[in-house]
Amino acid sequence: MMKFPSAKKMTLIAGAVVAINGFFPALWILFTSLKTESELMRLPITIWPAAPTLGNYTRVFVDQPIFLFMWNSFVVAVLSTVLCVTVSALAAYALVRLRIPAPNVILSVLLAVAMFPLISLMVPLFSVMRDLQLLNTWWALVFPYAVLSMPVCTLVLISFFQDIPRDLENAAMIDGCSRIGALWHVVIPLTAPGVFTAGILAFVNAWDEFLLALTLAPRVASRTLPVGITLYQGEFSFPWPIISAALIIAIVPICIIIAVFQERVVGGLTSGGVKG
Amino acid sequence: MATRLSSLERSERRLGIALLAPAFALLSGVVLYPIYNLIRMSFSENKLTEPWLAKPWIGFENYAKAMGDERLWEATWHTLLYVIVTVPGAVALGLGLALLANQPFRVKWPVRLGLLLPWALPLVFAGLIFRWFFEYQQGLVNNALIWIGLPPVNWLTQEGPAFFAICVAIIWKTSSFAALVLLAGLQTIPKSLYEAAEVDGASKWQQFWEITLPMLKPAIIVALIFRTITAIQTFDIPKAMTDGGPGNATETLAMYIHKTTIDSLDFGYGSTLAVLMFVASAILTSIYLRHTRRDPSAGRH
Repeated sequence: MMKFPSAKKMTLIAGAVVAINGFFPALWILFTSLKTESELMRLPITIWPAAPTLGNYTRVFVDQPIFLFMWNSFVVAVLSTVLCVTVSALAAYALVRLRIPAPNVILSVLLAVAMFPLISLMVPLFSVMRDLQLLNTWWALVFPYAVLSMPVCTLVLISFFQDIPRDLENAAMIDGCSRIGALWHVVIPLTAPGVFTAGILAFVNAWDEFLLALTLAPRVASRTLPVGITLYQGEFSFPWPIISAALIIAIVPICIIIAVFQERVVGGLTSGGVKG
Repeated sequence: MATRLSSLERSERRLGIALLAPAFALLSGVVLYPIYNLIRMSFSENKLTEPWLAKPWIGFENYAKAMGDERLWEATWHTLLYVIVTVPGAVALGLGLALLANQPFRVKWPVRLGLLLPWALPLVFAGLIFRWFFEYQQGLVNNALIWIGLPPVNWLTQEGPAFFAICVAIIWKTSSFAALVLLAGLQTIPKSLYEAAEVDGASKWQQFWEITLPMLKPAIIVALIFRTITAIQTFDIPKAMTDGGPGNATETLAMYIHKTTIDSLDFGYGSTLAVLMFVASAILTSIYLRHTRRDPSAGRH
């Protein structure tokens, strides 16, 4: 009779398959980034770098203003996240707690408008930003990115606000707090995890966006990381080892974020997830 | 029922509207006003390459042109193909990953990060990584083919293989979100159902068909709809892998719109294409909203 591996082993194998599926492409890029150009030319290809080198990483910094791309990505992501979370939190709170007429209709309208396809929006946004002379500035991206993450942030925050007992606020208001005071002193501290989750999702969305960044901020000095790296053409060919090093540099910040906040990210995505 | 609002309720309502105002101001500036502009532009001739021309109103001329535009129909067809292949593909792979991940692991983080990493990567980076996998000489795929004794394939420069390679990249990248949604769905299925089935002597396979799939149906539908909404906007991955090539063989609607407006600076016609694109995705978005309609003030559970 065939012997089946034990349940414990099967569990381990299942986990390994999921982990390898997720990590392998990034690991492969990491290996590539540590190889020398001559090793990459050798056939058949090697898996482990024969003589690991950081030369490609120094090339990344020398050849292209990658720090500048990173700075642009960072500033745009932070500003749009702050804007998005603030606006979404106010809206979510109004929808959950304040006696607005037809909150579900308002929510549907808000989601439908915010989910307008980016590709269709890109065309008029380009001409609007051009008229406002905002092309190739951070602001051309900050405002659209805030809208990009509004659906997910609003849904996440709505589910957090719904979990706060109404009585807590009422108690604070009886004690002489205003509505805003109650919001600030009672609701916000309690929803800090929700605000934080929404913020992480908005940050990752902004950090990853490509189409608008390519369209609205194409000049080298204003490029974000995804655009900077994708348009990272060598003079004659696509310099794979350097591209790989650049990819690793760009991926590390998001890896740290999702590693540190993994439970929050998963929770936020599944309670209000709006991203492919 | 016409009840008079107390003064407290009235002031709450006023505050509520004030708190909603920033959201709607932002949406007006970033979406509604641009849409108004978009629709206006779609009825005009507006080429930035000929700035000396006025932007004459030409009625439905752009729309008529679109109907006869072969490249548009090809791009639509390609986009549809991506939808047909990658939507079920990503949800099926996501379901597989979710089933594998739904185990009592002692150490949870490698599995959770394995599911999260593809989600967190920019689409365009996934495209670049898979372009490297499918590179003719040094790509992993061709080297693996040679290793098992098969001839290498010119993946990215032939129509069929390029389409295949792009689909693989899209499915890998987008399956992780589906997996997360489906895993959350799996974890809501009560264990007692499986225990009861076990007692009745149902095989694992029967349990999957009779319990897991039916219970997971709402999560699967959400995953399918999300994937469809994003799939019709496919841009980043083919852009990074083939830039629409060879010829226009892998060009999507989004790429064609981008080329028409940003590269050729034909804003009139590009706007028309964008309007058509929007109408198509509006239909899908409304289907999504119908499925997730909820009353935010009603509380949960």
